Amino acid sequence: MNLLVAISIGLREIAAHKFRTALSMLGIVLGVSSLIATMALTRGIEDGTRIFMQQMGGLELVSIVNKEPSSRKYEFANLSPGRTLRDAEAIRRSATFISHVSPEISLATAVATDGGGNPDRRMVRGVYPDHFVIAMHQIAAGRFLTALDLERGSRCAVVGDTVAKNLWPGIPPPLIVGKSILIDNRPFEVVGVLPLYEMEEQARARRSGRSLSRRWDPFRQKNETVLVPFTTMFHELRSGAFPLDSLETMKLETLTVRVGDLDHFRPALDQVRRILDTTHRGVDDFDLETRQDWFDRMESSVRAARLSGGLISAISLVVGGIGIMNIMLASISDRVREIGIRLAVGARQRDIFWQILIESILVSLLGGLLGILASLGLIEILKTIAPTENVPVLTPDSILLAVGFALAAGLLSGLYPAAKASTIDPITALRYE
Amino acid sequence: MSLIHLEGLSKVYRVGDQEIRALNEVNLRIEEGEFIAIIGSSGSGKSTLMHLLGCLDTPTTGRMEICGNDLAKASNDELARVRNREIGFVFQAFNLLPKLDVVSNIALPLIYAGVPSRERLARAKKAASDVGLGDRLANRPPQLSGGQCQRVAIARALVNNPRILFADEPTGNPDSATGRMILEMFDALHASGKTVVLVTHDPSIAARSRRVIEIRDGRITREYAP
Repeated sequence: MNLLVAISIGLREIAAHKFRTALSMLGIVLGVSSLIATMALTRGIEDGTRIFMQQMGGLELVSIVNKEPSSRKYEFANLSPGRTLRDAEAIRRSATFISHVSPEISLATAVATDGGGNPDRRMVRGVYPDHFVIAMHQIAAGRFLTALDLERGSRCAVVGDTVAKNLWPGIPPPLIVGKSILIDNRPFEVVGVLPLYEMEEQARARRSGRSLSRRWDPFRQKNETVLVPFTTMFHELRSGAFPLDSLETMKLETLTVRVGDLDHFRPALDQVRRILDTTHRGVDDFDLETRQDWFDRMESSVRAARLSGGLISAISLVVGGIGIMNIMLASISDRVREIGIRLAVGARQRDIFWQILIESILVSLLGGLLGILASLGLIEILKTIAPTENVPVLTPDSILLAVGFALAAGLLSGLYPAAKASTIDPITALRYE
Repeated sequence: MSLIHLEGLSKVYRVGDQEIRALNEVNLRIEEGEFIAIIGSSGSGKSTLMHLLGCLDTPTTGRMEICGNDLAKASNDELARVRNREIGFVFQAFNLLPKLDVVSNIALPLIYAGVPSRERLARAKKAASDVGLGDRLANRPPQLSGGQCQRVAIARALVNNPRILFADEPTGNPDSATGRMILEMFDALHASGKTVVLVTHDPSIAARSRRVIEIRDGRITREYAP
């Protein structure tokens, strides 16, 4: 008996029992569609993460973060001044592989125009000029903060697009430069305005007049920022809040450095670590966090999501397989007589075996096909729910994988019924009513 | 050499501790072209004999040669091959597949003989018209009369051109129109040189053959020409 005949017999059998077949396929349909949807979803999250990471800064960036010192050094922990401006200065002076250093302190405070009006509460950051490079800023109008601003502690500020638009609605950035604002009731001069940062998708939506306001905006923080020189921040704003700190001893909120050349990434980290070992007096209360670490962390959470989704799909595929096996067993006891007749006219046991196995595979493949169609719909629904940057991405390999799983489910669940059918005794079968 | 050669053939069924000797040391030779009837009452062992001759079962002991194949210890595949190539079987209950039309039912043995589909169709059509069902090809068994079903069964048994035709209680009433027609068909097949073996409990049907073998309690008790 050739394959074609077996397939046509199988198809006829499926067509003759549409409802029963549909029920037995349900598990496969669910399994395949959820598998494809999960893969599309995690792929979307991966893509979104990658884009986000690219836009938030490249691999060259390294954050210096606080860490609990090891227990061996715990008793000396007080000797360490923690992350201070001295760290930043020491790195800038001595770490040759580091191109930019950006220490940062911030204060949430009132920002208003000097003409009065309602103040907005904004996060005001005291930064170094290097912040421009490290935070991947551009400038829409005016200039960024300079070393001179830092040295003098000038009262100048660079404002984000949202801040500018809120304070001076309808006024273009070049006309905002030179205006005066009140930060915590102290007058500052706006020397620069940042452009509007947005995702490609948001830009498209804005141009076409659609609204994407519901979406989470990774650039919100950048767009709502107010940047002032680090020294100004300390003397004019922070010293009032923390009177016991000096510029040198004040704890930094963030300290980010940029490696000049990725080829010298490891040596650069070593340099930074050695310098900080000195400034922290040997207390290991800091850690270097690379963007690769971020990547790895996100990747591992994506992997976990994919795994759990895959597990659920696998379970429903197993359930689907059991469903098929159940139906095939029922179908065999319905067809004992048919099997007996086929044996009587010369079918070999293996002919019957293949006939049942192929029928089972056909059911699962059909289920897989329907599952693919269902997953297309499911992905469309997910597209409207998922954040734009994590929009699900359907990949051909996920479809192949799902079909492979469906095939395997059909094959495995068909084996037992096929073996059972092929060992039916023809004489008993012919007497069977 | 005989077409069918049985020697010391026994079939023993075991039911619990009990042994049931359905066939006991049966010796039988059937030559090519014979028209034989095996007659016996229910429980005589004739069904068991028919199943053995039809290669649906293997004997417990003894020799069994059919068409030159030693089948006493044959594998399932070997039995299937002989069933497919050498034997045509007409069952008492027709045993047609109700979901298939007449042509597909008749073509069934050809599927397992590996005949390509175009040839299958042509041969099945010819076999159908040979039994006078050329105009019923697309009908399915539930739409046919009992006599028509019987003719489909005969066409199916003959489609692979077997050397032996077995018929198990081929007709109920030999004097009905259907019964007469069926028996005439067997006569004609015999006349054309086919070996025909009827299995029946009815002496009047057995009387149509050339040689009658009577079975009782698993043994051949009598053999005569009607």
